Amino acid sequence: MSEINALRDMRPALPQAELEAMRTTARERFVAGTRARRARRWRRLPVLAGGLTAAVAATGAAALVLTGPGAVPGQHDRGGHTRTVVTAAWTVRQDADGTVTIYLRQYTDPAGLQQTLQADGINAIVHPGLYVPWPLIVGGIPLPPLQLDHPVCYYAATDLAPQAVRRVVVTLIHQGLPARFIINPDAMPHGSALFLDFLAGRPRGPKNGNTGVLAWPPVVLNNDTVPTCGGPQS
Amino acid sequence: MTIDTQPSDADLIARSLAEPGLFTAVFDRHSAGILRYVYARLGPELADDVTAETFLAAFGCRGRYDGAWPDARPWLYGIAVRQIRRHRRVEARRLRLLRSALADGPAEDHSDRVVERVTAARLGPRLAAVVAALPRQDRELLLLVAWAELSYAEAATALGTTASAVKARLHRVRVRMRRELGGSNPINEENDDE
Repeated sequence: MSEINALRDMRPALPQAELEAMRTTARERFVAGTRARRARRWRRLPVLAGGLTAAVAATGAAALVLTGPGAVPGQHDRGGHTRTVVTAAWTVRQDADGTVTIYLRQYTDPAGLQQTLQADGINAIVHPGLYVPWPLIVGGIPLPPLQLDHPVCYYAATDLAPQAVRRVVVTLIHQGLPARFIINPDAMPHGSALFLDFLAGRPRGPKNGNTGVLAWPPVVLNNDTVPTCGGPQS
Repeated sequence: MTIDTQPSDADLIARSLAEPGLFTAVFDRHSAGILRYVYARLGPELADDVTAETFLAAFGCRGRYDGAWPDARPWLYGIAVRQIRRHRRVEARRLRLLRSALADGPAEDHSDRVVERVTAARLGPRLAAVVAALPRQDRELLLLVAWAELSYAEAATALGTTASAVKARLHRVRVRMRRELGGSNPINEENDDE
């Protein structure tokens, strides 16, 4: 045995399920990236520069809607996807088994995310929570800059669905940004809603505008009322 | 198996110049290996991101791919190595974590190589420290061979050098590792050179 073999044994193992989840995310980013690059090339051609390609290439705010397994170049029904909406900030993928996967990369375009989830049959509330802008003043006293990482609202979601229901509706794959959640709309009780506190305005970090901290997973409410804002905690 | 009838990576890359969507097949062939390698070096937070960036960079420069190489793996690993370089601090933290995890003791293992694995696990924390202290180029080479399991020739292609240079450099790295592991390395010195 050599140092090389010893090093091989030290290599951190990646479980197959996690590998597949990451690979799916990487693939979607790759495909979206190649499309954006090709769109940029088209945009550079003055005669062919169209509004749609320019919009897709500009900021990523526009969504690419891919329907059917053939929508992704080179893909042959690998995942049985029926509909995928890709933006720079998030991807929502509806699978043939009825589940919907959310890949959340950045906290931007909450309205678009809500609309997309609702189109996939989920009674979703994506609520644009805000971070407190510096300087934060609590009780008339400005807090130092290190204290700025506070959401404006802490939601007292007292009307949560039972834990067992929440477990079958929301599967948490990865909570750090980029986060991945799988939603099972069929398991949502009648009249319930999926609430995602969307922390827009988060102070920009070094990577993709995120600070790299944990994402807020969605919760299942018994009704479709936005929970009460509890105000900032000091 | 229909491997022989499948187009080579070089064929796919060449055809993707006219049909960009074909490059997705290169992703499907090699992304799992690249992802495992990136995950090992940078951890879960960046693995999918850096893998996607690796293939996007490859897609962007596919026009310069040397068609004499039917297998694109070394080329892709070379690009991955350059992408990983941009996350030096994350890698340093990853190696510190690995060192701590290994210091907690070897995992239970019933494989045929259990004695070797336990030996490796005993050496693990020190080995991780030695790897972390290696110059960047040496570490990249070592991990391409050990974790990506590239041959010397493939590692040379990935790093843009020659196989003989890789062999010489790897020999120096191993001598250094043995010295820094205390000179009484319980790992025997069976030669695994190609």
